Amino acid sequence: MSGEFEYAIKKDVRNNPIVREVDRERHAEMWRSVGVGVFLVAVLLFSAWQHFELLRHGYRIEEMQKERSAEEEINRHLRLEIETLRSPARIERLATGRLGMVAPAPGDATVIERVTTTPPPPKSVVARR
Amino acid sequence: MAESFHAAHDKRPDSARNSWRATLKSRIVVAAVGLFLWSTAIEARLIYLQVYRHADLIGRAERQQLRTIASSGKRGEIRDRRGHVLAYSVDADSIYAVPTEIADPGKAAAALCRALDDCSSADLQSLSDRIRRGRAFAYVRRQVTPDQARRVADLQLEGIGFMKENRRFYPNKELAAHLLGYVGLDNTGLAGIEATYDNLIKGHAGTVLIQTDAKRHAFSRVERPSTTGADLDLTIDEYLQHIAERELKAGVEYAGAEGGSAVVMDPFTGEILALASYPTFNPNAYRDFHDDDRRNRAIQDLYEPGSTFKIVTASAALEQKILKPGDYVDTNPGVIRFGSRVVDEDKHHNYGVLSFTDVIVRSSNVGAIKVGLRVGAQRMGIYARRFGFGRPMSPDFPSESPGILWDPAKQTDSALASMSMGYQVAVTPLQMATAISAIANGGELLQPRVVRAVTRDGTRKAVPRKVVARAIDRETSAEVTAIMEAVVERGTGQSAEIDGYTIAGKTGTAQKVENGRYSATDYNVSFVGFVPSRKPAFTIVVVVDSPHKVPPYGATVAAPIFKRMAAAVLQQYGVPPSINPAPPVLAVRRDVDDGHQQPTSTAGMPPSIVTVDSGAPGKDALFPDLTGLSARDALRMLARLGMTPRLNGAGIVVRQIPEAGAPIDRETAATLWLQRQIAATP
Repeated sequence: MSGEFEYAIKKDVRNNPIVREVDRERHAEMWRSVGVGVFLVAVLLFSAWQHFELLRHGYRIEEMQKERSAEEEINRHLRLEIETLRSPARIERLATGRLGMVAPAPGDATVIERVTTTPPPPKSVVARR
Repeated sequence: MAESFHAAHDKRPDSARNSWRATLKSRIVVAAVGLFLWSTAIEARLIYLQVYRHADLIGRAERQQLRTIASSGKRGEIRDRRGHVLAYSVDADSIYAVPTEIADPGKAAAALCRALDDCSSADLQSLSDRIRRGRAFAYVRRQVTPDQARRVADLQLEGIGFMKENRRFYPNKELAAHLLGYVGLDNTGLAGIEATYDNLIKGHAGTVLIQTDAKRHAFSRVERPSTTGADLDLTIDEYLQHIAERELKAGVEYAGAEGGSAVVMDPFTGEILALASYPTFNPNAYRDFHDDDRRNRAIQDLYEPGSTFKIVTASAALEQKILKPGDYVDTNPGVIRFGSRVVDEDKHHNYGVLSFTDVIVRSSNVGAIKVGLRVGAQRMGIYARRFGFGRPMSPDFPSESPGILWDPAKQTDSALASMSMGYQVAVTPLQMATAISAIANGGELLQPRVVRAVTRDGTRKAVPRKVVARAIDRETSAEVTAIMEAVVERGTGQSAEIDGYTIAGKTGTAQKVENGRYSATDYNVSFVGFVPSRKPAFTIVVVVDSPHKVPPYGATVAAPIFKRMAAAVLQQYGVPPSINPAPPVLAVRRDVDDGHQQPTSTAGMPPSIVTVDSGAPGKDALFPDLTGLSARDALRMLARLGMTPRLNGAGIVVRQIPEAGAPIDRETAATLWLQRQIAATP
């Protein structure tokens, strides 16, 4: 053996599965990023959903406003019709013309007087007398 | 390491190996430059649109996306004293055209006219001209009926659109037309109550800002809502008004008169219950009627009252103690002269010596003149004003004529003589009704009014009764009432008599002034009175203008109208007869916690009016006595109490559980037993 060393480096090729050490910090950072990303997307989606819901409800409200106005107007027309139908001149015309009715003679009607009960006089009044 | 490994295994020459890299690199550069230019162009465009054209585009967007619609404020309702609607507003369609979008104006106008169904050739020509003018907007017809709108819509014409406008309707048509007035196309009151209270009834317009999408569908709105005007409750009774108009029309037509008016008033409150004028009109189509038809004769027409004014003369004489009812007045020889002017009695009568009462009962002109001369011009003027003549009486009628009274200082004996018998003074029927009411109510001159209450924003404010002044004292009022009763019992007003009722009244007949002279053919005839005279419920004044078919007298024309009107209103209001009244039928109003009951005058089971609650404040409601009620009335009562009814049998209620007076338990059902025949009371 000479004084020189020869080194023979044996290339140690390990085909064993590499077990990477979990970098917990990066892992957490990744999850944070994912979380933030999901949150942002969720906010975006929620905001979009809100916007479209708002629009949808806007259309619906408009439709209902129209319906309400129409119903109110129908109601007013019907009330007008009722008032027209119960006009005294019309009823009298129908009663005397179509139904052959006549106005009651003075003797035909009996006047009913409503009597309200008179409270008994308070004792103090009686006592003063 | 990896690169050297690949290089070691890549057998291609270096030049080939580097060429694709150069190509890729150059392409990437090109793509990057392209992308950069593209994004720069987009951003430049964005900056141009967002910055330089910002205002312009915002304006365009708003014009496209936002629509401002004016919503008209609805007029308030006008109701009678019972809440029946007399005037009401609903939306009506107005049809408009955009002439620039109409290719053939003549054809379109013809089609529209056919659909409207009531177009004259002039209307067709006018419509065609309006469309031909080519303006941006033209009305085809405003406030059409629903049928007309539907027919026009069915045509589906290009350039024809619809818009909603508020329209006033009067469901009873001619009823109280003069009183209510009418409203123009622009929703402004033009006459009557509609004009007087226009500011109060008229609602205020609002605006609606609507945001629309590209398809013009609205999805958002900002609203400044319109307000509805105040509702008016009138003192008018719809049915009494109908009676007054019906009888006035019948009387005017029977007498062949030009027109007439009638006022029915509550003498103790001044409330006008009916105010009729004939000829009349339909306020729904007021343009189709002549101005004369639309004139409210009861407040606008002045007439010389004739003998009805003798009541004022009599009141002045009695209150000033110039005469007593039994004092005598010599009317011989039946004429009285003032220079060349001769005044005589009707049909040249000579009544001789009459009591003061009989001067009025027989309506002696000479007697009234002699009384008037003794009263004097000054005092006659004072009493005429005390009775409300010579000035407008009601704030509800701005168009009311004040009437005409002479200045007493300038009055000659002849003029005073005329005034004493109701000439040379001019009054309105409303003034006369107010004056007669003062006699009926014991001497108070009340402000006549037609508005009973104003309801605004849910708050109802009643218009109070207003005493203007005391016209005469109670004693004078009683004496004049007795004289007026005698007029109807045995004098000129006998044709106004109604069986069973005492009536105080006075006839009046006065020649009309035409072309500055008294007409020999045309008269204003009238009857004024109140009924029942000793407990007045109604003051009624009837004035008929120029009757020609029957003798023109108050007794022959106006008094029968008064009679029919009074009989109908007395019956409608259930006013019992004042002469030999039949024993009254009494209905007991039974208060359940009263402990004592009013005896009734009728035998057997009396009908009972039940009270829902105990009537005492602070106490819980008790179950009412339903016996004697029909099934329908009992069910209605139970429904009001919120209880479930169970019915056994048919007829009227004879038994009930819970008993009357029991505390109300809404969880339990109320059981009622009904029978057709009531068992005889032992």
